[in-house]
Amino acid sequence: MLSRYVKLYYLFCKQNLKVMLEYRMDFLLGVLSVMLQQFAGIFFVKIVFDHIHALNGWTFYEILFIYGIAATGRSIHHIFFDNLWTLGWQYIRPGKFDRLLIRPINPLFHFIADRLQQDGFGQLFIGIIVISTAMPHLGISWGVLEFFILVVMIIASGFIFVAINLFFATLSFWMVDSLPIVWTIFNLSDFARYPLTIYHKGIRHFLTWIVPYGFTAFYPAAYFIKGSGFERMALLTPVVAIVSCIIAYWFWNRGLKAFTSTGS
Amino acid sequence: MRKYIEFARVQMQVHAAYSAWFWANTFSILLRMLVIYFFWKAVYSSRTEIEGLPFDGMITYIIIAMFLQMFVSGVGQELAHTIKDGNVAIELMRPYNLITRLVAMDLGDKIIHFVRGALPLSILAFIFMDITLPTTWQAGLLFLISAFMGIWIGTFFDLLIAILAFWTINLWGLQVMKEAVISFFSGALVPLILFPEWFQTISLFLPFQAMVYVPVAIYTGILSGTEAWLALGSQVFWAVSLFVLLRVLWTIAIKKVTIFGG
Repeated sequence: MLSRYVKLYYLFCKQNLKVMLEYRMDFLLGVLSVMLQQFAGIFFVKIVFDHIHALNGWTFYEILFIYGIAATGRSIHHIFFDNLWTLGWQYIRPGKFDRLLIRPINPLFHFIADRLQQDGFGQLFIGIIVISTAMPHLGISWGVLEFFILVVMIIASGFIFVAINLFFATLSFWMVDSLPIVWTIFNLSDFARYPLTIYHKGIRHFLTWIVPYGFTAFYPAAYFIKGSGFERMALLTPVVAIVSCIIAYWFWNRGLKAFTSTGS
Repeated sequence: MRKYIEFARVQMQVHAAYSAWFWANTFSILLRMLVIYFFWKAVYSSRTEIEGLPFDGMITYIIIAMFLQMFVSGVGQELAHTIKDGNVAIELMRPYNLITRLVAMDLGDKIIHFVRGALPLSILAFIFMDITLPTTWQAGLLFLISAFMGIWIGTFFDLLIAILAFWTINLWGLQVMKEAVISFFSGALVPLILFPEWFQTISLFLPFQAMVYVPVAIYTGILSGTEAWLALGSQVFWAVSLFVLLRVLWTIAIKKVTIFGG
């Protein structure tokens, strides 16, 4: 069962890669543009830190590290799960979603595998560069265990992005296109680029327990920052990721049941 | 002229029909304002001024710049898609100038955005954040003129980039790249005076600072007197050059369409 899906995903990927290679200029343009976009954000932080020493007690490299984890986690979502953005306007509205329902595989899998978003690689590169720039300045020694935890944290962060987008994209089953909602919620992740401690308590709780973007960057990063006071909270990250995915998938299945095609 | 006014009017109605996007936009801007407010509050927690700007001056700059940046993009997307799906060929046969039509629609878009979005939101910002009015009424007036020019420059730059759609298919990438460059060099994220010397020198020769930095710097009093007039002069230069450049590039690009047509 699983091996069948792995093989299928490989075949989907191969098709997507062919498209990418066909339009090489566009691949470069996409990667470059996302890198530039991320770089603008980092440059902004750098400019601000040229004038101050610390932001509420957080140093430049700590902020950079938080930023890097957010970018890398998001890149997982951007590369592999980008199709979630299109559920309403490219599948349900034109009636293309029915096509997925008559295939003998899980419709969510098919829907996700339909696209591999090349542009996300730019985000991935930048994220890795930023993380490795910040790493030596955090005052901890990096062993195998730390690396392992870092990778787990980043994957968890990516899946929290996925779960949140999946959850709100699912609303499309009832309202045809929920893109405005997905987009608004996604914008909440802007908060996650900075330490949550700079925000009002209400915002902090909201981003921790309701829409858990805090776990996409700040909490996992805090695990590696000495004396941040959030080390134990950080360990919850993988749990939050798993729970959010379960909730989102459950909601997706409910949506699927409620789905009536645009044609009927 | 009548037909273009009609286009602007229809565009306003179209906009009013998509209320979901309106609310999504409004909510997103509110969120962004919250992030900005708390971020700069934290920056100023241990000092009273940066490069001579106190907290209220800074937050005024950032918020006004954020609003202005929303207006410097235009209908580039529309033009790019028209080019991409080939409709441009049909559009060219219709009894109007495509570029003028798009600019008219853009105007309608911007008016309704201003009335329904930016205006109420900036009143909110005035009440709840420490935003100040321009120091003098002259500065206020100059700001309006300068902002108008900034929006003009942004609109034409946007169309200029969109014409590249004749040569690439990754419109999303093109858009993101343009946005990144603009937020970089236009001073939309942070006043250019905070940038390193060399960076300020480079941006002096680019059209981007004329889009956001110049108007908002006039508003907040960073630029005043002769400096302000010089900056306005550079805006005029860019407004005219981009306009001419767009006409030239458009003529070249259209030839390409005719060639494809056989």
